[in-house]
Amino acid sequence: MSDIPDASNLLATAREVLVKDFLPVLPDELRHAALMIANAMAISAREYRQGEEALRAETARLRVLLESAGPAATGPGAPHDTDPVALRRLLVAAIRAGAFDDPPRNAALVDHLTRSSADWTTISNPKALRGTR
Amino acid sequence: MPGTDTPETRAVAAWLAGEMRATSVRIGRYVRLSGGAIQGNFGLDVDVSGGPLAGHHALVLRTDAPSVVAASNSRSQEFAVLRAAHAAGVLAPEPLFICDDRRIIGREFFVMRRIAGVGAGHRIVRDPALVPDGPALARELGANLARIHAIRPPQPGLDVLAPPPADPARAVIAQCRGHLDAMSEPHPALEWGLRWCEIRAPAPADVTLVHRDYRTGNYLVDGGHLSGVLDWEFAGWGDPREDLGWLTARCWRFGAVDLEAGGIAPVAPFLEGYESVAHRTITRADLDYWQVVAHLRWAVIALQQARRHLAGGETSLELALTGRIVHELESEVMHLTGALPR
Repeated sequence: MSDIPDASNLLATAREVLVKDFLPVLPDELRHAALMIANAMAISAREYRQGEEALRAETARLRVLLESAGPAATGPGAPHDTDPVALRRLLVAAIRAGAFDDPPRNAALVDHLTRSSADWTTISNPKALRGTR
Repeated sequence: MPGTDTPETRAVAAWLAGEMRATSVRIGRYVRLSGGAIQGNFGLDVDVSGGPLAGHHALVLRTDAPSVVAASNSRSQEFAVLRAAHAAGVLAPEPLFICDDRRIIGREFFVMRRIAGVGAGHRIVRDPALVPDGPALARELGANLARIHAIRPPQPGLDVLAPPPADPARAVIAQCRGHLDAMSEPHPALEWGLRWCEIRAPAPADVTLVHRDYRTGNYLVDGGHLSGVLDWEFAGWGDPREDLGWLTARCWRFGAVDLEAGGIAPVAPFLEGYESVAHRTITRADLDYWQVVAHLRWAVIALQQARRHLAGGETSLELALTGRIVHELESEVMHLTGALPR
């Protein structure tokens, strides 16, 4: 526990004021906008809490995945790169080139992408995750 | 909200009077209509004096939004498509006049007849008073879609569209990749989905007119029945099964996920309605494949919508949140392609 409310706490607390105190008395034409604001605040709070870890885990997996795919999937020094966008770019090029078509590599790719998309769906819209409905 | 007596409405009234060969046109109402994140739609009620169209008319004026999504048709292309669809007996707004004179409202626009009914997807899937018989509505949607797919190239009025693709399934994949290449960041899950589709792409068969946004939220329901299909900005030549995958895709069921036909009915009555007019059989494998394509295409469009907000000079919370949908669409692609338990 921290002594000073962090960004996630502030967003969650402010969102509660919006939903509990403002939403019931807002005119109909502003309700949709208020619900969008509440949604944006909830996403931001979750991203603050979970985004960094999702990105760190994705980056670590990407390096393993690209190493396993061999030279076809790696540029100079690529597996040591820590920039997730650069690693994703290498992965995309390898996918398009068919470097992940054979079944074992494909299974590893699918496992990685399933985890990444689930992590980000947990942040953007946890209700949309399959198996949680 | 624009008033009914502004320089813009006066210019529109004078232009309409010319098009209608009327002595005068009076605009009694001019309001922005909800929906249509891409185009600006205005509802207008007009009283026409003199000429062949004398009387009262409920119309819609459709124009471009300040920034546009790539691959969407211009107003003149959309006008041509509406003409062809309307002439083929498709339930759609009747297009009346098009204006490319930028002096009237500053942008290209056209005017069509306004259709009665409710369009909001979240209401249509939840309110039994609006849709008392979901399967019956699904049959109507299927039959109406088949009438669109009866329009085949070449069509003299539709030479404004891009030429029919030789291999429509691969053309969709190539178009999505092109749009992804224009983004600032790579999107591996979408690339995986596109590769999955490329490996399994069906052999070229029929090429017909396809609507490309035929789904709950884009049609109007009046008295429980389909009254018309809107939003033709993505229409073009393609594989007709693309539209069936789009309407039945989970992302267009507005939360009513167990009702595969757009959240209003199981898929069977929709396919019955379609096959009764189209004489084309749709298999489960067709639906599975084109539903994956639907999620990929919607994800690419959502990225483009977010880009309008981020880079297109059109700051909008709605467009920003549309960008956040991409994550759940990616999850669904992973699920549909067999990566997750079904």
